[in-house]
Amino acid sequence: MVQVAEESLDTLPKILRQRAQTLGDREVAMRVKDRGIWRRYTWKDYYEKVRYLAMGLVSLGLERGEKVLIIGENKPEWFWAELAAQCAGAVAVGVFTDCVAHEVKYYADNSDATFVVAHDQEQVDKVLEIKPQLPLLRKVIYWDPKGLWNYRDPDLISMETVLEMGRMYDESHPGLFDHLVDQGKPEDIAVICYTSGTTGMPKGAMLSHRWLVEGIREWSAVDGWNRPGMEYLSFIPPAWATEQGLGIAGGIVAGLRVNFPEEPETVQENIREIGPEILFYGARLWESVNSMVQAKILDSTRLRRWIYNKCLSVGLKVADRRIQKKPLGPFWKLLWWLAYQGCFRPLRDRLGLSRARVVYSAGGALSPEIIRYFLALGIEIKLFYGSTEMGVVSIPRPGEIRPETSGRPMPWVDVKISEDGEILVKSRFMYSGYYKNPEATAAKLRDGYYCSGDFGYIDEEGHLIVIDRMEDLKPLSGGRKFSPQYIEVRLRFSPFIKDVLVVGGEERDFVAALVNIDLENVGRYAEANHIPYTTFADLSQKEKVIQLVREEIRRVNRTLPEHARVVRFVNLHKEFDPDEAELTRTRKIRRSFVEERYRDLIEAIYAGKDRLTVEAVVRYRDGRQGIVSTVIFVNDV
Amino acid sequence: MNPAPSNGLSPKKILEVRGLWLQFGGLQVLTNVDLHVLDGEILAVIGPNGAGKTSLLNCINGFYRAQKGSILFLGKPIHRLKPHKIAELGIARTFQNIELYSGLDVLDNLMAARHIHMKRGALAGAIFFGPARREEVSHRKVVEDIIDLLELEPVRKKIVGTLPYGVRKRVELGRALAMEPKLLLLDEPMAGMNVEEKEDMARFILDVSELRRTPMIIVEHDMEVIMDIAHRAVVLDFGNKIAEGTPREIVKDPRVIKAYLGEEEEAEGGTSG
Repeated sequence: MVQVAEESLDTLPKILRQRAQTLGDREVAMRVKDRGIWRRYTWKDYYEKVRYLAMGLVSLGLERGEKVLIIGENKPEWFWAELAAQCAGAVAVGVFTDCVAHEVKYYADNSDATFVVAHDQEQVDKVLEIKPQLPLLRKVIYWDPKGLWNYRDPDLISMETVLEMGRMYDESHPGLFDHLVDQGKPEDIAVICYTSGTTGMPKGAMLSHRWLVEGIREWSAVDGWNRPGMEYLSFIPPAWATEQGLGIAGGIVAGLRVNFPEEPETVQENIREIGPEILFYGARLWESVNSMVQAKILDSTRLRRWIYNKCLSVGLKVADRRIQKKPLGPFWKLLWWLAYQGCFRPLRDRLGLSRARVVYSAGGALSPEIIRYFLALGIEIKLFYGSTEMGVVSIPRPGEIRPETSGRPMPWVDVKISEDGEILVKSRFMYSGYYKNPEATAAKLRDGYYCSGDFGYIDEEGHLIVIDRMEDLKPLSGGRKFSPQYIEVRLRFSPFIKDVLVVGGEERDFVAALVNIDLENVGRYAEANHIPYTTFADLSQKEKVIQLVREEIRRVNRTLPEHARVVRFVNLHKEFDPDEAELTRTRKIRRSFVEERYRDLIEAIYAGKDRLTVEAVVRYRDGRQGIVSTVIFVNDV
Repeated sequence: MNPAPSNGLSPKKILEVRGLWLQFGGLQVLTNVDLHVLDGEILAVIGPNGAGKTSLLNCINGFYRAQKGSILFLGKPIHRLKPHKIAELGIARTFQNIELYSGLDVLDNLMAARHIHMKRGALAGAIFFGPARREEVSHRKVVEDIIDLLELEPVRKKIVGTLPYGVRKRVELGRALAMEPKLLLLDEPMAGMNVEEKEDMARFILDVSELRRTPMIIVEHDMEVIMDIAHRAVVLDFGNKIAEGTPREIVKDPRVIKAYLGEEEEAEGGTSG
């Protein structure tokens, strides 16, 4: 089937062209739910859209090496725009949809973008707002015209128009498209992914075609998702390197069939309709699926609860035997089969995981409890370790799932641990440096190894275990260190705790926690126990709720070394919010910022106070300001 | 802030109400009310509680029969027609206290509103083959476009009775749109909503107006949001029309401030103009 030698298929556009030539209309490349129906795009459709869009961009003046900023939800148009830019030799730059205008401006400015491809009115409004400050920006292309009918900006143009322009340009310039694609080289930069910026301003990590093409070819072969036509649901942001690897490159290089949900809110519904075979959930999503199941079970009838608990205990026993690599034996095999048929199969179907075979997680540590839980349902979550810069470093191989490890290093990776415990990585598939920032690039390299900034070790079986960020390890007054994140992850496993920040420090002699209760589950608990409450702030300070959280902390404390146990805690009066910069866009806590923000509270904890009044400024729509004060209790565990 | 939809052509009067007079026994509800709606226009009818706003809508769509006066829709008198006839002519409305089939899902509620456009009989529908099936598909397409416009995708298959209030209001607007009306009557579409929901609803109403150019009468108690989106406003007070003009003129009108806002709160309403 492959007429062209693999070596010459060294960029994404070349492979796309080859797939369209060999598969044409016979195979579906993407599906998108629109107007309630799954619409299909064959490889030929995909290729034609990309081709015309590329020619349209070229006719508008796009040149080799320029940057095209793309901002939108996961939709085929996003993928077309990236591939079209790459066909023309340009570079795609992904931006998260929930970025506010000045953040978008930073990305556009920093990457020298000349074109922006934006999803809808919401994104277009942001871009038009900042356009006067971006002298390099030439055109803004949108694909969803809703609400934009009356916009009259001369530089605003619909994707439909650009496709049509491209089709005509292609007709009048035969051979130009192929010429442009053929000029592409594997070391060309394909995409710039901005790192999520837990520290400092985001930096643009450049990824080459070689990273996307060869990297994915080898990765998919190792993990067995190189069978074309495997179903994949695309919903992690394409601005993120992981989706670049799985959705964009995985779709083209490994031939995954990429499915796009209708709206971000309908993912759970759509995932059931697709039943993806390969999928990636962030750690938070696995946690929320788990707590959703727990909450629903709590709401269920007594009989169902009994069945679920019995089946789950069988599942967990089997999971533990698998983790310890003990043989199962016919007895446990039979019990597991019964539990699977009676409970796990319908449950997995409900969650859209009935066909899930290759299941990943990364980005923020995932609680071992969660991995064990899903293993009990027969789902092996592969918690891989990697980053935009390093690529994929290690992945647990099939049958080697152990909750606390990130598996063995990939064949193309060389991992070593520095003297102070930092993970150092050398890989054949690394990023090509930070855009316009060679100092930052150089700062990350030591003797040819990339310094990950992560603290971890390699166990006797060769598995990599990542504990935490180096700079996030916290000292206590006795000189001993602890990892706040390690504790937080385990606390978040509780259905009643949505988020938590664990604090300590050199001048402090114990560990304390700031807890965000999970409004939905705690609210349900309050209802069931006849606890009246008004707002989140009110609920969080109820005595019984505090006791509930206290029990959860005690449970986790039992698994921690004595010095790292949580001694005091508060239930916060509000949730951490990315709009207030307390969380990053990938929902990781911005530790130092949050610590600074709640400094009064933290000081109250260590000063031994038992309550503190917190005042928050509230701005009304008419510009008036008011002050809302809440009493927060400081509690001992 | 919205330019009136005058694109050079002289705008056509879609609806014309002349000298409308409505009494319930001794209670005078509407007194000689005159108003008209131009093509593509959003007309706000505002006024304090009990001013007769909803009664006016009820007269237009035939729920109430006025004692005097006439209502012309596209040049034809409709004030003697039954409500379902008026609906078939192309006047759709939403209600202050949501009137949906609360046991059906969103999709079915919207599909039900398509009945006035359905031509196949019950038998053909029951067999559901050939033309009846094709008809269903074409109606579904119209409905899906509305679902897309009003961002109802996440609740498409949800039972209406289980939905939050703000969403149900949106479904009701969708149901009215599904009739593909030539005139839309919205009775307090933003009542009981928080600020964010109101702004969303205002955006949807503007989207409908921009995309379909459907003329509308919006009855609203709360002036703030409505004054941002209406092209023109009529103010009722105890059944009398006391003012008419652009939102900017209306909010400055001393009679309006006195009647509508009460004298002590004069400063409040002026901010939105």
